[in-house]
Formats: sequence, structure tokens, C-alpha cells
Amino acid sequence: MHVPLLIIGGGLSGLAAAIRFARFNPDVLILEKHSRIGGLNSYYYRNNSLFETGLHAITNFAPPQEKAAPLNRLLRQLKLKRQDFTFHEQIKSDIFFSNQEILSFSNDFALLHQEIETKFPRRAPGFSRLLQIIKDYDPFQAAAFRSARTLLLTTLDEPLLVDMLLCPLMYYGSSLENDMDLGQFVIMFRAIFLEGMFRPEGSIKDFLDTLLKQYQELGGKIRLQATVARIIHQDRKISAVELTNGEVITCDNLLSTIGHEETLAALAVPPLPKQRPRLGFVESIFRLPAGCRQNLTQEKTIIFFNSSEKFRYQRPDHLVDFSSGVICFPGNFQDLKAQPFLELRATHLADYGSWKALAADRAAYLAAKSETAGQSKLALEKIIGNFSQDIVYEDTFTPLTIERFTAKKEGAIYGCPDKIKNGDIGYDNLFLAGTDQGFLGIVGSMLSGVSMINQHILSRT
Amino acid sequence: MTRDAIKDLVLEIIKDIDEDADFEALQADQPLRDQLDLDSMDFLDIVMELRKRHKLQIPEEDYPQLASLDSCVNYLEPLLKNA
Repeated sequence: MHVPLLIIGGGLSGLAAAIRFARFNPDVLILEKHSRIGGLNSYYYRNNSLFETGLHAITNFAPPQEKAAPLNRLLRQLKLKRQDFTFHEQIKSDIFFSNQEILSFSNDFALLHQEIETKFPRRAPGFSRLLQIIKDYDPFQAAAFRSARTLLLTTLDEPLLVDMLLCPLMYYGSSLENDMDLGQFVIMFRAIFLEGMFRPEGSIKDFLDTLLKQYQELGGKIRLQATVARIIHQDRKISAVELTNGEVITCDNLLSTIGHEETLAALAVPPLPKQRPRLGFVESIFRLPAGCRQNLTQEKTIIFFNSSEKFRYQRPDHLVDFSSGVICFPGNFQDLKAQPFLELRATHLADYGSWKALAADRAAYLAAKSETAGQSKLALEKIIGNFSQDIVYEDTFTPLTIERFTAKKEGAIYGCPDKIKNGDIGYDNLFLAGTDQGFLGIVGSMLSGVSMINQHILSRT
Repeated sequence: MTRDAIKDLVLEIIKDIDEDADFEALQADQPLRDQLDLDSMDFLDIVMELRKRHKLQIPEEDYPQLASLDSCVNYLEPLLKNA
């Protein structure tokens, strides 16, 4: 079999890239290792009920008339109609630093601005300067690494405020410990604070099904449970991909969304020199009967919290760091239909190595998972009040779960700390998109797929 | 293709990219990008549509010649003379 474009990975970047290409040439094939599409943002069934993985909220909310906004640009590029989607905006979210300060924000930026003026009055002029820097900065221009933390500390001169602003941006899109590249910071600040958060109607499955339908209607093909054994190449030129069942598919161009190191492994070329640590996460889902809604907040969509004196966004030296994390209430978005249950999701930083060490001993691994859910509940209850007595179902993902289902090395959802922003890893007709290209989040990863196709394939072929 | 037909073709392609595009106040000698809020990604769609519909290969270095409606017509006229 031969295709002009072959895409490895049926996650959001691969799907978006595939739709983009199929608009002009339907001869494109996606290879997805898993039995389901979506990659990090997918779903599974337990007890006849659908559970989402990954999705807390989609960032980059924009009203339909803001044509230049990333969300609307993306939909135009994929020829998807904005009116075919129903989006529910967040209600309100908090950055909650126990015993220190709380900042609320919503999709109306004025709220965060006012919160900072009230709670950090002396930092208000600095914050205005920061907004101007963010406004003027072009994060898509190639630039060397510049520390966002250093810039924030100089501009705001208040470490607590710096940590509070970084906390949500890091948890929703940083592959780097304790700092962010300034370009990445600007992208995330705009995506979360200036634009805002929302979720689509229904579940992530409905969203993925809409994308798949668009792709298939354009004539594109996808194969599930198709695992790439190796990428066949002569020096810089890719000729084909061989699957684990021995089938060889030749291609003119190859787009890999599986990660930089993962792609090098498939090419059978030497790995990169030792990289900075990858960040792993654990996530627990707790379900409660809908009747418990009154006991918990109905106004907060997401709470980014930190309970230690100094916020650490780094790989812990043990299984899980419960001192910070994210609490998401998927039911607390505006105008959602009432659900038969109440769901809570909690995310914390975790150490892949510590989990890996337990993997051989099934009983110890399961005990650690259960202990993790327990500790997570305790951390959450200090912030949102008691709820654990009402839980009817819970499940916990570890970095090993994420690695197993998404093939992301070490279960690091944000991938390698060093991004390849132009997608070029030194081959003539192989390009990188998705997590390791560096646009993160659902809108970001989809724009990654689209822009790599535009830049390297459509404008050249 | 006549100059008017080429103009209609370009506008039709833009309408297809953005169905809310408003041509009412469009000035033919001014950049399309600023007037219609198009970005470089949308711009590539014009090139791709011309390729799909008329088998035109427009090299990247010629993209600036598609900046305004007038310059589009000037650039495309010889290429589409037999279309």
C-alpha cells in the first residue's frame, strides 16, 4: 500500500493534521496503536458508564466573532462549523494557595485583574506591565529559551503572585520543572487567562466522533490497533513504515505525533543525550450520587491548589506529591444538562520511576493506587469539604496507566521538556507534530497538527 | 478567464473559507488580510483551492503577489487565460 501522507497517532494532533490534508487530498492514512482514537484525550467504559481521560477543560475559549482567535482559526482550517458545536464556558476557577492567598478567575479577564488589584495592590502596576509584555510578544517567532519565572519575578517583585500565576499554566501545559519558556508562558497565559476555559457538549467521545466523521467524509482512512514496528529510511529520506504484523506501507511524507524520542526509537537511530526529567502525573476520578451536589461547590469549575509554603512543580522523589494539584468539577460548566452523577477529578505530580519499581509486584502496585486515591481525598477535603463518604465509584490512573494506553514515554503527558517548535528533526519528509512539537492542550495540539501540515507538506507538495 | 471572473473566483474561495466575510467595503487595492481578518493559515487555503480547482501550482515566493484583490487578478490573469 502507498499513501502520499501517513500519520502515526490518532490523537488530536494527528486527527487535525489528517483532516487538514484530506481537505485537499483524501489519500491519507492514520495509524493508531490503541483500539480507540483520542490519544491523551480519550475515554473508557466501566459499569456501563463512559469515563473521560485527560480532558478537564479545553482552553482558548473565544466567541464566534473573534475570527483571529486560535479556536476559530482552527475550526476554519478544518472546515468545521462553529455552530455545529455547543460549547459550555467555565463558571469560575480558583488558584488556591492554602493559608496564603486565593485568586479567582473566569472567562472574563476583568475578574483576575480586579483580584490582583485587591489582593496584591502594590503589584498592580507590575501586572499591567506584564500584560503589555504578553500583548506585544510573538510566541511563534523562533527564539532561544528565556525564563518566564525570571521575567515574572523582575516585573512583579512578589514570589507568591508569581507562583500563583504560574500554577495553572504549568499544570495545564508545562513539560518543564519549576519554570516555563517565555513563549510557552505567553501562549498558556493567553489560552487560560485571556481567552478562557470551556468544554464541549456531551463527552470527549462526541467531540472525537465529530472529528472522525469530518475526516472520513473527506475520504481519509484510519487503522486502529496498528502498531508501527519501525520507520524505514535511507539517511534523511523516509520510504515506508513497517507494522508489527509485517505489513509495509510506503509513503511520500510521514507525520509522527508519538513524541521525539519515541520517533527516534522507531527510526532505530541513536537516542538523544540524557534529557531533563519528564513529568508524570496521577489522576483520580471520584463519582458521587447527583444528590450530593448541595454539599459541594457548584460555582467552581477548576481549583488549582498548593498547600505547601513554596509551590513546587517538579518530579517528586516518591510516588506522588499531594501538596499541590488540580481539582476539576466536570459538571460545573455553564448551562450543562443535569447529569445522573457528580464527578470530581484530582491530579497531582507523580514519579514514574517509583511507580515503575512497584510494577512487578501487582499487589503492592494496587495497594499504592488505592493509597493514592485515599491521600488525594484527604488533600481535596481540606479545600472543598468532606465528600469521600458518598463516593460510589473511583478509579486512579498512574504514569504507568498513561504510558500503557497512550504510549507516551514514562506517562509524561506533556512529553519531552525540550520542544521541536518547527517539527523538523532532520529528515526530508518526516515531521513531528503534537506534544513534542510544543503546542499543548486540545486546541494547541490540533493547531500543531494543522500548522505542521501547512508548513511542511501543503506548501511544498 | 476574464478579470471579472477571476475576481469572482477569488471572492468565492474566500467566502468558502469564511462564510461571514463581508465584501461590502472591500477595497480592491488594499491587502485582503487586514480587511478581512485573514491570517497566513487562511491564505494558504486560497492557494490550495486554486490548486485543487485549476491545477495551479503557486510557488511560495509568489504568495505576496496574492496580497490584494487587484494583485490576485493581475497575477492569475496570465495563468488562467485558457481556463
